[in-house]
Amino acid sequence: MANREYDTFILSDPALLQEDREMELIVRELTPPDLRYKYRSAYVNAMISKSETKYPDRLWIRLGRGQLQEKPWSIKILKELNKLPKESE
Amino acid sequence: MENYQFYKDNREFIKALESHGELVTVQQEVDWDLEMGAIVRRVCEKRLAAPYFKKIRDYPGFEALGAPLATYSRLAIAMGMNPKTSIPEISDEYVRRTTGTPIQSILVDRKKAPCKENILMGKEADLFKLPGPMVHDGDGGRYLATWHFVVAKDPETDTVNWGMYRQMVFDEKTMVGPVLPFSDMGKMFYGKYVPKNKPMPFATVIGCDPLSGVAACAPSPIPEDQFTGMLMGKPVELVKCETCDLEVPAHAEIIIEGEVIPNLWIEEAPFGEYTGYRTSPREPRTVYRIKAITHRNNPIITVSNMGVPTDEGQLLRSFSLGLEMRKLLESQGIPITGVYMLPESTHHMVVVGVRPAYSNIATQIANLVFGSKLSPWFHMVIVVDEETDIYNKDDVIHALATKCHPIRGIRKYEHSVGTPLYPFANPDDRKWSRGAQVLFDCTFPLDWPKSDLPIKVSFNKVYPKEIQEKVLKNWKNYGFKD
Repeated sequence: MANREYDTFILSDPALLQEDREMELIVRELTPPDLRYKYRSAYVNAMISKSETKYPDRLWIRLGRGQLQEKPWSIKILKELNKLPKESE
Repeated sequence: MENYQFYKDNREFIKALESHGELVTVQQEVDWDLEMGAIVRRVCEKRLAAPYFKKIRDYPGFEALGAPLATYSRLAIAMGMNPKTSIPEISDEYVRRTTGTPIQSILVDRKKAPCKENILMGKEADLFKLPGPMVHDGDGGRYLATWHFVVAKDPETDTVNWGMYRQMVFDEKTMVGPVLPFSDMGKMFYGKYVPKNKPMPFATVIGCDPLSGVAACAPSPIPEDQFTGMLMGKPVELVKCETCDLEVPAHAEIIIEGEVIPNLWIEEAPFGEYTGYRTSPREPRTVYRIKAITHRNNPIITVSNMGVPTDEGQLLRSFSLGLEMRKLLESQGIPITGVYMLPESTHHMVVVGVRPAYSNIATQIANLVFGSKLSPWFHMVIVVDEETDIYNKDDVIHALATKCHPIRGIRKYEHSVGTPLYPFANPDDRKWSRGAQVLFDCTFPLDWPKSDLPIKVSFNKVYPKEIQEKVLKNWKNYGFKD
């Protein structure tokens, strides 16, 4: 059973996505402990699979204009990437 | 300076809406995740009273006002007029107030600024502590800013701009959204900050008084704070930001301060847009990093839900675009009888009434409006003569279908500036903001002999005045109710 759920937007053909290789993508968190943080986005390094059970967390796929794909994939997040500038207050 | 009735903040406006029967207070808790958006969408599609949400899931202490200005009645109330005022009367009043000397804003002490009741800095300034709604299923994120404006200042001229630029929450400190290069803020940011690789200070104002929102939608050359003053008949009260030298309305509900970051892009969208579609793709767009949030006690966010007509984006943008065109055409001495942009066209189609005093006057009108700064936001101009009621859709459709010659009456304009949001444009044209425009000339040519001119067959046109009066006088006696 998946621990957590995420989704991501795939702008190209999902069939062409490479599975089981470390890749960078933006994911949105769908099941945070504090529900106020639902849909928080993050750049991550992760492995993904079209199999729903291969990796610990569930990954829902949306296409470029938000179309939700019927079957979820799975994901293992390796690292959250900090690609944004630090605060300068 | 004239004294108009106006509402200094969103709270006074809510009371006014309630007193005019234009408000539904929702006591039941609603979910920020789609439920609130769905309610506002249905309200827009059915043209119902504005929903005032008292309880939002996960966000105790916050409230929300949906569809604040989605009808002409609510616009009339915002302007201190009777909600039953006709569209031409509201238009004339708007033009009258906004033609003349701009009214400078005044700066008030922070102690007199309710938007400073709570000041969140550092880690406390966290976008997820605000109830940004997930407006439509499938959107790219939560859009905290749907009925709001972004304040920015030109670094060379100090000219201030208030504009509605949508902003999607990315993470605790980051928002992202499109800033088109031909927009006022786009010209400032991409023209003056990015070449120097300098971040641009911004302040997002959420839950402003209604006339500030109207002004932020208006494509007027007058700075929007002064334009608001003209609509109010009184200076707008502003207060200094916490982290930069921008000034924001003192009575707003929530202010988000930060910097627009040059040479950095994050994927934004999709989003349900004013055209009634999700058209523009998820793409790398402009990044806002936040430094501070200030808000009133128990803040009330405002929620607009763009989609099929009619929401406030369509209504107010149509209203102000059309009336800026009216000012432009009148300034050029064109003998127009009025200008009306149909909100149902998602501000793509404008109807211009004219006394056809000379040949090709419709082309002159189209050249003027298509050549103006207003041009990227619409692409269809219908020119009708004075016997067509520009506010009556049936009348306009009748004129279009009967007076516009399918070849001679249609003039196409290629290579125009467009927007990425045009549903009819191909992906490449959307990417490069390329558009096309068209004129529908619904005036009869002046060189036709008078005896050849078709005569409009309507009650008002083909019966003598005494017969019309007799029929109207006896209408109920004939057995008709109205």
